Amino acid sequence: MSSHADFKDRQFLADSVTGLLLAGIGHITTGAEAQKNFLVVDNKTETAAIESAFESFTSRKDIGIVLINQHIADRIRHRVDTYTAAFPTVLEIPSKDHPYDPEKDSVLRRVRRLFGE
Amino acid sequence: MEQQHIDSLLERYLSLIDEYSRLREELTKLQTGVYQNIARANFTGERGMRYGQDHYDERMRALRVLDIELAEDNVPNFTIKNLNHPVDGATGDDKKQEEAEKRNDSLKEEETEKEETADITNAQEKPADSAEEQQTDQEKKDEEKAKKPIHNPLHWFGLLAPQPLRTAQTLSIQAVQEAIPRLVSVNAEMEHVEIEIRRAKKKRAKAMAAMAAEREVVRQGAVEAR
Repeated sequence: MSSHADFKDRQFLADSVTGLLLAGIGHITTGAEAQKNFLVVDNKTETAAIESAFESFTSRKDIGIVLINQHIADRIRHRVDTYTAAFPTVLEIPSKDHPYDPEKDSVLRRVRRLFGE
Repeated sequence: MEQQHIDSLLERYLSLIDEYSRLREELTKLQTGVYQNIARANFTGERGMRYGQDHYDERMRALRVLDIELAEDNVPNFTIKNLNHPVDGATGDDKKQEEAEKRNDSLKEEETEKEETADITNAQEKPADSAEEQQTDQEKKDEEKAKKPIHNPLHWFGLLAPQPLRTAQTLSIQAVQEAIPRLVSVNAEMEHVEIEIRRAKKKRAKAMAAMAAEREVVRQGAVEAR
């Protein structure tokens, strides 16, 4: 039963990546150290792995926008919120089973800060 | 005067928030469509076929690349360029994008590899008279291949991808090409306006403090005069 749930979870998260890759933005570099420009996160993926992927994507020169599911960003919220560089820019997007929550949106939180809330 | 400037900045900021929210809605709608269509494709997939990462091409190359232009006030404007269109037209942009450069390099490598293998097979198999004809045929085929849109991600899942998956691709392209670059551009502009608002507020606070100090001096002068 749990394995079925795991599979479903994995599928849900992979759908976000599949959807984006269908648009032709996936890239794997050539050479001995092939680097992917995406990471499929499932419930077995450790937070440290997400953190290191975030770190790596935000330090790569060939990436301009880092897209991250909002609920995955929640797992490394301190990293996402303290990231202030202009390039690459980070955009949180909803996933299949976690709809967009404006309360968690870092942009709208910034707006609230500006208006002194 | 300062207040008017702040008001106009806030007005601009509010319209940006409005646009941001509208784009968020649009992106959510598009992504919902993508997920629904992938789910539909999975539901109708033959022999329990799942359209997921097991089928990703490990040699995938980006077909769409990002172009960042800095406006006069240093606010970046993000746009997505489609490399599916004439390869010649895209070469100019390649200089700006490392990703595109890599893609081009790999394309060149692929092309040279193809040519080499063609040469070898020609040398091994063909008798002298037909060799030239077949070689030109091969070259034509290579040229055609080079001209054709390459590596359509739909083909990872088989040549006859189901209709829902095609719809998912269309919606995803719309999200990647329109909503996402616009969203990050608006975000960058918002950040810029936020800085301007904070600066203007600080300036106003300083001016008000200076005015208060001046008044205090005048008041004290008047008291002393009495």
